[in-house]
Amino acid sequence: MSSTMPTGVPAPGLPSEPKREGWLTTQLESYVNWGRKNALWPMPFGTACCAIEFMSVVSSHYDLSRFGAEVVRFSPRQSDLMIVAGTVVDKMGPVLKQIWDQMPDPKWCIAMGVCASSGGFYRAYHVMQGIDEIVPVDIYVPGCPPTPEGLIHGIMKLQEMIARGETRSQIAMKAGDPAELATAEDAARRAIAALEDGKLKALADAGRKAS
Amino acid sequence: MSTVDATLPGSSIFWGPGKDANELEAVPTVRALKSEHPHAILGITDFRGDLSVTIRPDDLLLVAQTLKIHPELQYDMLVDLCGMDDLLLGRTPRFRCIYHFYSTTQKHRVRLEVPLDDAKPSVDSLTPLWKSANWAEREAYDMFGFDFVNHPDLRRILTHEEFVGFPLRKDYPADRRHMLSRTYSAFPGLPAEHEGRQVVLGQDGLERVYVNIGPSHPATHGTLRVQALLDGERIADSRTEIGYLHRCFEKMCETHTYTQVFPFTDRLNYISAFNNNVAWAMTVEKLMQVEVPSRAIWIRTILMEFNRIMDHLVCIGTNLVDMGALTNFWYFFSPREKIYELIEACCGARLTVSYGRVGGVAQDVPENFIEHARATANAIPEFIEYVHQLATKNVIFQQRTRGVGVVTRENAISWGWTGPVGRASGLNYDVRRAHPYGGYETLDFDVPVRTEGDTFSRYMVRMEEMRQSLRIIHQMLDRGIPEGPHIVDDYRVALPEKNSVYTNIEALMNHFKLIMHGFSPPVGEVYSYIESANGEQGFYLVSDGTGKPYRLHNRAPSFYTFAANDEMLRGQMVADFVAILGTLNIIAGELDR
Repeated sequence: MSSTMPTGVPAPGLPSEPKREGWLTTQLESYVNWGRKNALWPMPFGTACCAIEFMSVVSSHYDLSRFGAEVVRFSPRQSDLMIVAGTVVDKMGPVLKQIWDQMPDPKWCIAMGVCASSGGFYRAYHVMQGIDEIVPVDIYVPGCPPTPEGLIHGIMKLQEMIARGETRSQIAMKAGDPAELATAEDAARRAIAALEDGKLKALADAGRKAS
Repeated sequence: MSTVDATLPGSSIFWGPGKDANELEAVPTVRALKSEHPHAILGITDFRGDLSVTIRPDDLLLVAQTLKIHPELQYDMLVDLCGMDDLLLGRTPRFRCIYHFYSTTQKHRVRLEVPLDDAKPSVDSLTPLWKSANWAEREAYDMFGFDFVNHPDLRRILTHEEFVGFPLRKDYPADRRHMLSRTYSAFPGLPAEHEGRQVVLGQDGLERVYVNIGPSHPATHGTLRVQALLDGERIADSRTEIGYLHRCFEKMCETHTYTQVFPFTDRLNYISAFNNNVAWAMTVEKLMQVEVPSRAIWIRTILMEFNRIMDHLVCIGTNLVDMGALTNFWYFFSPREKIYELIEACCGARLTVSYGRVGGVAQDVPENFIEHARATANAIPEFIEYVHQLATKNVIFQQRTRGVGVVTRENAISWGWTGPVGRASGLNYDVRRAHPYGGYETLDFDVPVRTEGDTFSRYMVRMEEMRQSLRIIHQMLDRGIPEGPHIVDDYRVALPEKNSVYTNIEALMNHFKLIMHGFSPPVGEVYSYIESANGEQGFYLVSDGTGKPYRLHNRAPSFYTFAANDEMLRGQMVADFVAILGTLNIIAGELDR
């Protein structure tokens, strides 16, 4: 599931009857999402115990790179997946929000552990009762802390959601500023069209030679 | 049949019985205080070996000075300071400020209690005498609203700037939150437009730059924040801001039973969670005078040493990453995973174990524990050797660490530094050696002490401590596991065997009561401490005889270590900040609690 090509795509080099309009509008997104899900750049927002388990996940034994998500970046501007590992307290709230806002779209958020999901067993005067008070969360990973397997499972679930275009960021982008989206889609469409053109010409050349 | 083995003395030896009035007169501290300040003393008690003196608030500064300079007393370290609200105990006046002092030369302790006025709780600041009073008094102000006269910088420390009220007062609800609208500058009184990164002009006409480091920064390992004013590459001034992981540990403990506190202690220093479990268990055991079986002590000591190794592995590994040596991190996380497996085999959890219980441990170790532990211990030296080869003699590493971030012995004591950081500054104090518990007095191990007090010596002390911990583990394993139960056979604290719960009504009821209501220790106040990976991990517990702690204060080593940060950084290169911070091993969980 995780690394296969999206279904419904003609095998490369064999476009029997290319329907270019339909192909571009329906298949481009699944190509892009397939790329997105296999190249996650996590930004660990580690605050507490869960961050130590996150270290285990990225180090050699559990090796997150097997799932295409090993390029850990500490700058929000270079990452697209925020993993909030640990308790977020009220004093940290504005910091978390600021870092989330600095990340470029599309972006995803995993609440690792019960503290980030719901405040955990800290029903207390200084603890945020779940980070979804201030940032949108795609995946909640239970556990205190979750086992490394648990976090990996969460990341794989997120990858499935990205492939289907179901994450909050993707939905928001679809419903977002049409002009901006149109520009991006336009550029992508032109790029694909150019590729297709080249491929068709090559095929035509091959056909001429064969005949 | 006694379950206590003579070669493994139980924890009861550690604290001893309380003294009566005649014996108290012979204690040097009592004698000296009575002769020097007869009118200041309101009361003297000795409960479970904790000497406690109540004094008039107006005389605090004079009494504290006597404690510090009197030749027979020499209380050179203010170990801990906390507030206390007696509202529900019905005492007048309502507030108390509690001080714990320790003499590193005389090896004795005393607790001072200062009753404070209800309407305006105010007392002299001890910052002129001990540097450790600085942050501790800010915490007491933050939590209780105490006013410390002549404190240089009395403002909130753990809660945020828009917080209203004093959360540890008994009339403050545990879950009343206040939202924070924005991030504030760590420099108090800075105009709003100067916040963030900003170039300003110094008095000499040269430019200074504000740089904000943290609380989300790769080198701060969690939630520490330092705002620095840079003069070129040097740090001219800095402010350390903490509280970004203040999870209200102390308030939470007041709303949970004694056994339910264990999971909260796990999350103090979460890198070596079991050590906190034991520290907490020993506090309650001291209050209830529970004698722990030898088997439980044996298990505890071995696992505590494994946890110490685990803590140092993370500290050194991440510290070297910050200096650009990533390989060491992979080398050190490999044995850490092996220790995780051992701990998981004992209790089913990797990180936050909750394995300690009052009177022993939660369950017995697996049958192959000795072989498993020995294999784990044998796997570790190889990795220590790798890192020695890669880092210790590396010229770049030496140049970045030698002579950097120096703290003298006097300063270390004044800041209340304990543990590896204190020993790297020449303070030969290790609770395992100075006040043995858990059988450490029967074990052969060295306490590494260095005198340079720089980043390099802190690194070396930790590297050597791992070797010593392995020595302890091997000695304990060679002795073999003592026969007997893993938890004390005392219906007051320990759950009955599951078998008898199903077959016997008394056991069933006992089980039900312990689970639903917990147990109720006697009324009293104790301070108990162990040598955790970062230093003296202490718990000050006040019991009102009910099923929940009335007040629990954690003396966290990281809190006192980190308080020295601004003074250490002044004049250092900004790049060295990460190297210095790494060797202090600040764990946000116990720093902010």
